[in-house]
Amino acid sequence: MFMKTFEEKWTAWIDDQLTGRELEKFLASLPDRTAAEAEKQNAKQVGSLLREQAMALSNADFFSHQLRGRLDRENAPIRSEPDAIRTGWWTIRRLLWGGITSLAVFAICTVLVFREGTPPSQSQYLTQILGAQVDPTVSPNATITMFQKKDDHVTVLWVDGLQSLPPEYAAK
Amino acid sequence: MRSHLLLLVAILSVALSIGGASLPEQTVWSGLIIATNSPPTEPTPAEITQIEGTLRKLFGYSQFQLIGEARKTLKTGQEDWLAASKYFSLHVDSRGEKADAYVLNLKLFQEQKLLLETKARLSKASPLVIRGPQVGDGQLVIVLVVQ
Repeated sequence: MFMKTFEEKWTAWIDDQLTGRELEKFLASLPDRTAAEAEKQNAKQVGSLLREQAMALSNADFFSHQLRGRLDRENAPIRSEPDAIRTGWWTIRRLLWGGITSLAVFAICTVLVFREGTPPSQSQYLTQILGAQVDPTVSPNATITMFQKKDDHVTVLWVDGLQSLPPEYAAK
Repeated sequence: MRSHLLLLVAILSVALSIGGASLPEQTVWSGLIIATNSPPTEPTPAEITQIEGTLRKLFGYSQFQLIGEARKTLKTGQEDWLAASKYFSLHVDSRGEKADAYVLNLKLFQEQKLLLETKARLSKASPLVIRGPQVGDGQLVIVLVVQ
């Protein structure tokens, strides 16, 4: 028979293996019994927890599946059936509105671009004379000249040879 | 939703109306002028003042008397009008707008007699000046301006 060390006795006490005289002697040797009891309780709790974990880990796949399922259930937003339908309809409506708004913006931009493309009233183009004629029976000697005074931005149709008229034709 | 739709329709209508009116309403002034060197009897009309210098250089006359005029606001570009004095009349037939200019058919009459017929593309920045017949010691000048 050999003498047990303190650690061996401590372990045996934690596991409730000490009995009788040996238990009494061990308890008497403890400097702070209350602290020792508390430590024993902690050790028992840790032991039971480890045993539970060991059991669970023996079915790791099942445990993982269960855990994931529970997390999904807990994290999923609570939504009623009509709400789900409404959400779907909202998405379609948003798409519709998005489309209409895009078309509107496109139309406005197109209009603005065309307006930008149209030069303002101060055009750089001079007036053009596309054609001119006098009645040869009325004005047989008439000649027509067309020219542009670019400095003055004026186009002139110069008709010579029309019949001269008396001053009274200047009446308003 | 309905209010949103109405708002959108309103915005589109405004945008399209602005765009549709890309060619804003403009007025064409047509004047029958007698250019002379006689002393002035009345002030030069405002419409002529802008091109008075050009007319002086072109015709060599110093005074310009307005004997007939017409001012037409073009909405469709397809209007026609008449500028007339006692003996002369200018019939203007607008045939639409192309490249920022109005295409006009012009006919100058001396009473019932057609003196001149011309077709011009009247630009908005460029007056058209027509030299008409000699009248007394002056000259009939026709001016068309987009205002």
